Amino acid sequence: MSQATEDRYSCSCSLDFSKENVHMLNHDLSQNIEKAKELFPAAPDLVVFRFAAGSQEIPAALLYLDGLNDKNSINNHILRPLMYEIPDDKPGIPAPTISGVRTVTAWSDVEKAILHGESVLFFEGKPKAWIYSTQGWPQRAIEDPQLESSLKGAHQGFVETGKQNIALIRRYIANKELRILEHTVGQRGQSKVWIMYLNDVAHPEILQELTTRIDKIDVDAVINTGELAEYIEDNPYSPFPQTITTERPDSAVSQLLQGRFIVIVDRSPGVIIAPTTFTSFFQSVDDYSMRWQIASFIRLLRFIAFMIAMLLPAFYIAVISFNYEIIPLQLLLSIAESRSRVPFPPLLEAVLMEITLEMMREAGIRLPAPVGQTIGIVGGIVIGQAAVQAGVVSNIMVIVVASTAIASFILPSYDMGTTVRLLRFPMMLMASMFGIIGIIIGFVTLVAHLTALESLGTPYGSPLAPFRWSDMKDTFIRLPLWNMVKRPKSARPIQDIRIGRKRPKEDES
Amino acid sequence: MNEITLMQYIFLIQGAQVGTGILSLPRTLAEVSGTDGWISLVVAWFLNFLAGYVILLTIRRYQDFTLPDLFNYLFGKWFGKLLLLPLIVYYACYGWMVLINAMLYIKAWFLPKTSEYMIVLLFAIPSYLIVRHGIRVQARYSELVFYMMMWMPLIFLVTLKYGHWIHLLPLFKEGFEPILNALPKTVFAYAGNEILFFIYPFLNKKQYAVHGLFIANTMTMLIYVYITIVCFVFFTPDEITLLNQPALSLLKTIEFRFLERVDMLFLALYLIVVTKTWSAYIYCTVFSTSQMLKKQDHSKHTLVYFIAAIACTYVLNPTWNQSERWTTMLSNASMIVLYVLPVLLLIYTFIFEKYRRWKAA
Repeated sequence: MSQATEDRYSCSCSLDFSKENVHMLNHDLSQNIEKAKELFPAAPDLVVFRFAAGSQEIPAALLYLDGLNDKNSINNHILRPLMYEIPDDKPGIPAPTISGVRTVTAWSDVEKAILHGESVLFFEGKPKAWIYSTQGWPQRAIEDPQLESSLKGAHQGFVETGKQNIALIRRYIANKELRILEHTVGQRGQSKVWIMYLNDVAHPEILQELTTRIDKIDVDAVINTGELAEYIEDNPYSPFPQTITTERPDSAVSQLLQGRFIVIVDRSPGVIIAPTTFTSFFQSVDDYSMRWQIASFIRLLRFIAFMIAMLLPAFYIAVISFNYEIIPLQLLLSIAESRSRVPFPPLLEAVLMEITLEMMREAGIRLPAPVGQTIGIVGGIVIGQAAVQAGVVSNIMVIVVASTAIASFILPSYDMGTTVRLLRFPMMLMASMFGIIGIIIGFVTLVAHLTALESLGTPYGSPLAPFRWSDMKDTFIRLPLWNMVKRPKSARPIQDIRIGRKRPKEDES
Repeated sequence: MNEITLMQYIFLIQGAQVGTGILSLPRTLAEVSGTDGWISLVVAWFLNFLAGYVILLTIRRYQDFTLPDLFNYLFGKWFGKLLLLPLIVYYACYGWMVLINAMLYIKAWFLPKTSEYMIVLLFAIPSYLIVRHGIRVQARYSELVFYMMMWMPLIFLVTLKYGHWIHLLPLFKEGFEPILNALPKTVFAYAGNEILFFIYPFLNKKQYAVHGLFIANTMTMLIYVYITIVCFVFFTPDEITLLNQPALSLLKTIEFRFLERVDMLFLALYLIVVTKTWSAYIYCTVFSTSQMLKKQDHSKHTLVYFIAAIACTYVLNPTWNQSERWTTMLSNASMIVLYVLPVLLLIYTFIFEKYRRWKAA
């Protein structure tokens, strides 16, 4: 090999080759290949391709895992230059035309690289390996996220490749203050986890907290974002979701701009938004792209729906079995008439219907779409109407259950929706035992819990507890955007102002 | 880090003051001073604010000291603890008394067949969740509940159109004497300034402590005067003394097409307001005991308090009459804690500091 080639492939580190070091790469190509095959027993997808490189025909070998690599870049950008492009002016081995390259000398690095889908190049007589990032795996196209569909927002959702998700976010914020911290989680899974934040907006204390928590995770593998969220949340016993997981880049970015943090987990299409507040589960991206009055109305509707979904069946039970004096006589009579044929106590009747509803919902999710329609028919006609005619449940109960179901589906966050649906069972139990007082106690317990709950050390109840008047512009109602000069305080941003100046008046501008 | 804002400070004081007392207040006032009772409230408000100001004058000197620290500093390690003990008992009893009063209301209006301790157990669940955390959670809770329940007094406006303002006239029907005689009746309703000893050290803007106290006491006074006048205007002066809880009886007369008994719903919701009263007192209790025993975390003490409260209720089975008697006793204790103790403390600290300076020089 000529001097030029020697330089191109030289490594600054010098090794003591006299010592027989099993962890280091060998001079001899055949031994290296043997060792690599030893490292990956029972791995039929490991490809070992031996060839002669350059004009001197130096024996070389390329190792990679089949399926994790992009065949196109291996064939065209590594093998073609090495095997066929023999330069006339410069003797030696031509370099592969791939930008992501590094050299390693330890077997552990080689092993890691192969497992992560990179390709490893060995040369005869070189005690080191060249690693090319030629990763390419089966990948889904970018589509509209199913769980959080939006009418007017962007129709791009995150995918299972972390790097692409970062790119999707970067496209929204072309700012050098957007920082990304990389972590690796999981002993076996070795999942890459990225924390994204705006350096001049997000609070450094929260970043410290988040980093510490992610570093502390010691598990086999993190398969999904939800798993990671469960490892880093503040109160594992709370029924409330303490971080938002979203598949929408636009909502992630809007939270980023408010000074929150985003955690991207490689191989999972959801990203974590933290710290979170209770009220942010009632906001959706669409709110900001329609008239503010309409958005405000819809948002109020969601809060009302939250209360209905949680309390309506409980209130029904309380009114029927305990505090019938609070509703007018006429209404009471019509309820009594409808209930006269039902042999069960109100709690049993309510739980029966609610559980049927939950089962139908769960069945509808798991079944393929064509069969899923059957569930609607079975549920609507058979369970609803027939059950009433058979005298198993009352008409009013069907109305109550149906309206709670609708109310719980209004919530833009699926996680919050499931929480509400779960919470109404203890509420119903309390109502059947203590009537209205039971509901009030249950409600106060929830308020107390939400007041004390924290998300990454910031109050979860904000802007309600602690109460923040300035954040009220974007909580129950959404005021016009030019009105929200400051970022919400609940994420504790270190930079307050987000809009330069007020809207131009009249003939200005 | 463990700071509360001025607003939270105001709502904590106001929350500690407005409790169950308001429901029967119009009657107890009318019994002594007729329809001039509301003037007593204004006089009492002034006295209360003065007393609160005296408390602030004392603790202003020791900005970071809560009551246990203060006693420890002023009276020494053992004597301080000894003096603190009756105060802890006072706070504990007051908290329990509010629990018992609320329990009696709930039992009478909603759950006549449920046993007393069971209702207290129900109250204990949410309160435990609040009290076991620090002052900040307490403050946030008070603040949220205040905003959440701000609409409640507005319901009383519905009854005003049936009212007769003539009931209030003439003012000072029988001179000042009945008005002054009614003052002791207001003590239980106005008690609450004593939590200043525990919340002042955490206030982030100490220069506004007096303003905050004034606003809180004035808000309390306005609510009381408002409810009292509405009741006086609606009921005849003789009728009102026959009603146990005039405020609730007043609501009973309201009827909507969709809601028959407004009073019941009101009382049930008012329970949320009352939770912040007892949790303020219970917080002071468990905070003191944990400080006394040099414990950082007071959640165990909170648990012990609630178990004790439930046990006491189980053993004593309190009735309305007992509660009335205990309330009077507690009002006497309140008078000492609210009006006598601050003055004594102020004089003592004055002498104490003089003595210290003299000794140092």
